[in-house]
This record gives sequence, structure tokens and C-alpha cells, in this order.
Amino acid sequence: MSTSGTSLKTYALTRLALVVPMVLILLTLVFLLMRVAPGDPISAALGGRVPVSVINQIKHQVGFDRPLYVQYGDYLWGILHGDLGTTITDRRPVSSIIVENGGATLELTIAAGIIAITIGVVVGLLAGRYRDTWIDVGGRMFGIVAYAMPVFFLGFLAQLFFGVYLGWLPTSGEASPITQAFLPVHTHILIIDAIWARNWAALWDIIRHLILPAVTLGIVIGGIFIRLVRVNVIRSLKDDYVEAARARGISERSVVYHHAFRNALVPVVTVVGLQMALLLGGAILTEETFNWPGIGQTLIKYLENRDYVGVQGIIVVFALIVVFVSLAIDFVNAFIDPRIRY
Amino acid sequence: MQGKLRFLLVPAGLAVAALVAVTAATARTSASSSIIIDGTTDTVTNIDPAGNYDFGTKAVDFMIFERLLDSGPGKLAPHPSLATGCAAVGGLKTWSCTLRKGVKFSNGDPFTSADVKWSFDRSVKIADPSGISSLFTNLKSVTTDGDYGVTFHLKHAEATWPNILTTPAAQIVDHNVYPADKLLPSTSPQVGTGPYMLSTYTAGQQAVLKPNPNYWGPKPANGGVIITYYTKSSTMKLALEKGEIDMAFETFTPTELVSLQKESGITVHQGRAASIRYFVMDTNRPPTNNIAVRKAIAYLMPRQTIAARVYHDQVRPLYSMVADGLPGHIDAFASIYGRVPSKAKAAAVLKAAGVTTPVNLQVWYTPSHYGDASADEYVEIQRALNSSGLFKVSLKTAEWAQYVKTLGSTKGLFQLGWFPDYVDAENYLFPFYPKGQFLQNGYSNPKMNALAVKEQGAKTTAARLAIVKQMQVLAAQDVPIIPYWQGSMIAVSRNNVQGIDKTLDPTFTMRFNLLSKS
Repeated sequence: MSTSGTSLKTYALTRLALVVPMVLILLTLVFLLMRVAPGDPISAALGGRVPVSVINQIKHQVGFDRPLYVQYGDYLWGILHGDLGTTITDRRPVSSIIVENGGATLELTIAAGIIAITIGVVVGLLAGRYRDTWIDVGGRMFGIVAYAMPVFFLGFLAQLFFGVYLGWLPTSGEASPITQAFLPVHTHILIIDAIWARNWAALWDIIRHLILPAVTLGIVIGGIFIRLVRVNVIRSLKDDYVEAARARGISERSVVYHHAFRNALVPVVTVVGLQMALLLGGAILTEETFNWPGIGQTLIKYLENRDYVGVQGIIVVFALIVVFVSLAIDFVNAFIDPRIRY
Repeated sequence: MQGKLRFLLVPAGLAVAALVAVTAATARTSASSSIIIDGTTDTVTNIDPAGNYDFGTKAVDFMIFERLLDSGPGKLAPHPSLATGCAAVGGLKTWSCTLRKGVKFSNGDPFTSADVKWSFDRSVKIADPSGISSLFTNLKSVTTDGDYGVTFHLKHAEATWPNILTTPAAQIVDHNVYPADKLLPSTSPQVGTGPYMLSTYTAGQQAVLKPNPNYWGPKPANGGVIITYYTKSSTMKLALEKGEIDMAFETFTPTELVSLQKESGITVHQGRAASIRYFVMDTNRPPTNNIAVRKAIAYLMPRQTIAARVYHDQVRPLYSMVADGLPGHIDAFASIYGRVPSKAKAAAVLKAAGVTTPVNLQVWYTPSHYGDASADEYVEIQRALNSSGLFKVSLKTAEWAQYVKTLGSTKGLFQLGWFPDYVDAENYLFPFYPKGQFLQNGYSNPKMNALAVKEQGAKTTAARLAIVKQMQVLAAQDVPIIPYWQGSMIAVSRNNVQGIDKTLDPTFTMRFNLLSKS
């Protein structure tokens, strides 16, 4: 027991120590990639308007002509002090972007995650349970199509069908402009702000705006889960403990739902956590498609303007989220399954 | 029994909640019914006037802040706004303005000459990377003459200084609120003298403007404005069609505009604008260092085809760098090269110069910065030149950030667009032809430089415009640039929005205070 405890502690410390070089490599890569990419924010903003001499003078003022290693040193020093910098184009501290736009991304990813898991688990379980029936074929086809479909294309179809043709749902934004303008902001998560203000009309408006983007992203991510859950269910149904349960006379319903399904979902938990990167990546495209004011949409704007600070800051935050979620999953797995520690 | 009662109470409670929600929503809707909701694909950089040089921010700033002089609506020449008048004193190097009395900022502070000096001085001192202070390159100092007099001392004579006073660079801020050496964050309360005050601003999402109770001019025709920011015009189009927004200013693609024109309940408003598109040729590098090659391209430029086929007549063919409709404009290119392409004249000019055909050309354009139609635009140019048999054009593209960094240094023939800082012919000539021009295409002509100096020192408008015409003729003769179309100011609204046509003019200013909603 004591050996096991020590082992878990060692594993956790080793895993934590590995995060440092991982994050450093990540920061360096982001920094270098932004510098290698052609163009710079000053030329992007002023090119085609003012003489090159003026552009060079401004670059000098903001320090873009300093040696790369000096800029890199400043960049790391800032991050070490918790300062992700202030964007060049619109002077927003990256921390404020994370706070102000992060709420929208969080709202979208949580809702999409719930939808993805629901679709993945329900369809996957049914497909696995009724293997080689029309339910299985339909479920698998749905999974493949959902996964293969680009999120922006699915989003556009949803906008046209549910927004324009049927007129049921709004096509863009996190809320209607009036709601957004007059709802007091406390958390930057509009659903919570609406509940905080007890503004039920606003809450309904926000939920209506959330449906299309969340379902679109949820379906695409759900496609992966469907295949995963199905395979696990099929495998579980063949396992010895299921056969043993059957042999003990337990009803087929109970065997399937209480034994096979439950065990089939254990590896899915790990994968769900690892899909965080995919979810954030998908969120960027979904936000762009639905004019959803999250961090992803902001990232695209800064990329277009070659705003080094904005892009670096946001990518670093995205990457850190993925790193720490992976770390948390590793800890959970190590806690559940002692074999992982060795 | 208790269970049944609970069963009845639940739907009853839900019904009451729904009624309350609907009542609240209805009350809010009636209160907000006079608010105009605008959509735009533009973005805001810094609302502080010392930190922006872009359209998206100008649209917000022009409603919050004012300038000493204004241009439009209707009258394009600079006319009084916060100043009751500005005049040159003893030459064109010193300009004095008399300020309007009784004007207050939105926070109640009185507007005085100290605010004017503060606004100009801080803009120069901050020298923001947006480049806005480059409009004050000629400004030496600003002095005050009492509370209501201000004098601008310039480095050299400038007849068009009053035009500079109409630009976003010259917006006046409250000296008690804005720091002298740094920008005020966009989320801080902004204080100006304009018709609106900024209620809230959420970056990338919306700017909410409410009427300024201290505004000295006519009250806005609406109860406020919400500007909603979109990243894609297709999403904005859907929002307009569904009535989620009342109007959209700017920008739709030409195809989207054609589609919107056909929809009932929606009006596409089109007004004269001063934006232009032009084609730059390197005068140092072969083959366009040969003027005959440049002239042959000018003879073949398919202006009408581009306007009709690519832009569905939402732009007009342009025959001078100076936008049509501005004082001093002449169709210099039409006079020399004709209004329609001429293969015969192009062939003749090349033959006379002994140029072997077909001439290979590598033409650059940028695929998204000027809109998706750029690709079609340049396919038309390629087709026109290739079909003449005189040229063999290969097209190259680069995204804006990369494209713009190496314009003249690596590209011999390339696309650019221009929108003036102020609506005057001078602003279509000085950045492109005289010494110090930014195109890096090698063009230099002492005659042009001399004309530019004469133009800036011209004592009368008539004398100045005469020089402007000479510059256009020389520009067409030397042909380092071929202007080919002039854009329109286009706003699209639902039919219940009135007043948009009053604000469509070459200044490209959406004066939201003139708009109302029924």
C-alpha cells in the first residue's frame, strides 16, 4: 500500500516536471513560428498607405527591429511574470481577451461537449448493442459523416435550414444585439449573467443563440465518440465477465446496461478528455461560422493582422489548457489504473 | 390531492413566468424600438482618436468626437464644426481657428482651446503605430489665443490644411480625461462633443452608442445605435435577412449585393464614394521600365468589363487617380488612351518602340484584403491582355500581410486600392507621384515634384485646381499607375430605416444621427 502511494507520488512529480520543458518548447515554437511567418503587424496595418520610411520608424518605436533573442527574452520574462502581453493592433491585454472572450468559448465548448458526449454515447451504445442491424449501420454512417463533415459546412447548412428556411433559430451571435447591449455583465458568460440578472427573456434568447453552434460542433465531435463507444461496447459484450453474468442468470437487459455498457464507457472518459484539443480547434471554426465572440474568433482576427502578441498569447493559453487537461487525465488514469505508473 | 395540486401549479407557474418574460421583453422592445442596430464586417482598433487609422474605428469615433471642421454631408469642402471658421494668417504656413462657444463634452466639461491643443499635441507625442499621427507631419506647433482661439503653425505652406482638420486625426478629446502620452483604453468611458456617447464597448462584439445629452447640435433622429461586428459578410447577410439587424454598413461581396437587391423588405443604398482601385507598374524594372509597355497596358485596361462582370456595376470605370466628382478631376486617361480598350493602339505603340511581342508580365494581386472579387478582377485583366496577343500574363497572389511588405521591392506590377484621408484631389496625387511617394515603383519626375510644390503653395482654389489638372495629365502621360475603378458607398437596410441616402457621400461617413427607424 505504501509502495503504491510512493509510486503514484513519483509518477505525479515526474509528470509535473515534464510539463516545464513541454511548455517551454511550446512557447518557443509559437514565438518562432510567428516570426517566421511572412508579414508583420505594422506593415499589415499601414502598407499601401504610407512610405516605407514611416513604417520602419514605427517598427523601431515598438521594438520590432531588435534582435530576435532580445524579443524572445522579453517574451519569456513577461510570461514568467504572468504577463501575456498587450496586443499591437487594439491594445488589449491578452489576459482581458481571455476573460472577456473566454466566457463565450467556455459556454460553447461545454454545451458542444455535452451534446457530443450525449450523441456519442447514445448512438454508440445502440450501434454496439444492435451490431450489424440497421441501427448499427445507420449509427456508423452517421458517425462517419459527422466526423468527416467540415464544421463550417455543417454550420452553414444549419444556418440556412434552421435559421433562414424554417426561421426557428438565430443564425449568428451569442445573443441578440439588444440583449447583449442591456444585460449587465458580471462573468462574461452570458447564460450565467442572464440568470444572475433574473432576466428570463434574455436567458431564452441566449439559449436560442447557443443551439445551432453547440449542436454543430457537438455533432462533429460526437462522430468520434460514436465509433469509440461502439467498439468498446462490442468488446465488452464479448468479455468473460459478461458471459459469467449471463451464466448466473442475470437478465440480458441488466447484463447489457449494468455491466457491459458501464465498463465500455471507462476508456471513453480518457478519450473525452483528450478531445479537448479537438474541441478547442473546432470551436475556432464554429465561432467564425456563427460569429460567436469567443477566443477562437479573436485568434483569427489577430492572425490576419499578424498581431504577434495576440496570436502568441491566445495559442499559449489554448496549449496550456490542453497540457493541463492531459495532465489531469494522466493523474486520474494513474489513480484508477496502477499499471500506468510503471 | 396535494400531488394533483402540484401538478396544476407547475404549468401555472411556468405560464406566469412566461408571461412575465414576454411582458419584460415587450417592454424592453418598445423602449429599444428606436435604436438602430447596424452590422459591419469592419473592426475597431482603438477608440481613442490618437490610436486609430481605420474605417471601423472611424465609424464609431465620428459619432462620439468632433473635429474643428467637417466635410459633408452635402458640402464636401471643409466647413465649420467645433470651429466657427479657420483662415490662413499671412501665408499658408499659419492657420488660425475661432472655436464655437458654449459647447460641452458629454461629461459636462466645457470645450475650450486647451482641449484642441491637448488633442493635437498628444497625438503627435503618442505617435501611435496605427500611423494616424503621420497626417500631422507638417505640423510644427499649436498655440492657443484665449479660450476660443487656436493657431496651427506648419513647417511649410499647405493650402489644404483645413482638409487635415476634417480627418479622424483631428478629433478633439477632453484634456481632463485623456492622458498626454498614452492611449485611453477602448473600454474606458470615452468623452467627446459628438451626437452620441459610448455606452458600452465589447471588443469584437458590439459598440453601444446613446444620445449625448450635452450635444450642441440637432438631437439624433434615433434613440441610439448598436454596432454589431461580424467576421463574415455571409453571416451578416443572414442576420439582415432575418431582421436581427436593421442595416449593414460595410461590406458585402458584389454577389451578395446582387442577391440582396432582389429581396423584398431590403433596400440597397448606393452613393458616390471616393475609394479607387489602381494598377502599379515599376518604372525601373523591365519590361515596364519601357514606357511603351506601360502605355500598351493602359490602352488595353478592361475597365467596363471589370465594372460590369465582376462588380455588377457597383463600381464605375475611372480615368484618373483623382476620383470622379471631386473638384479638379479630369478624365486624363480617357483623353490619352480612350474610354474603351484598343488593341490596335496598343499594338501600334509597342511596334513603334520596337518591343517584341508577346511581352511576358508577372502580375500580383492580393486575394482577400480588397474583397474576394479581386481574383475575378485580375482574371479579367489577364484575359484582356492575353487576348490582345501582345502580352502573356501570369498571375501571382499573396495574402495582404506578406503582399504589402514587399510591394515595389519584389513585385513589378501589382494591385492596390486607395481611400483618401480627406476628400480632395491632392490626396489622390501626393501619395503616389511626387518625391516621397510610397509605392516603391521607381517613378520620379522633377516636373511632377515642381507641380506638387506649386500646388501646396497655391493662394487660390482655382490656381490650385489648375495645377491638380496638370498633375493628372502628366501622370497619365508617364503612366506609372493605371487607375481603373471608383467604388460606391453602399449601405443595406431593412425598409423601415430612413435617412441613409442623406449620409452617402465620398467622405464615407455613416452619420448614424441622421437615421431613424419606423
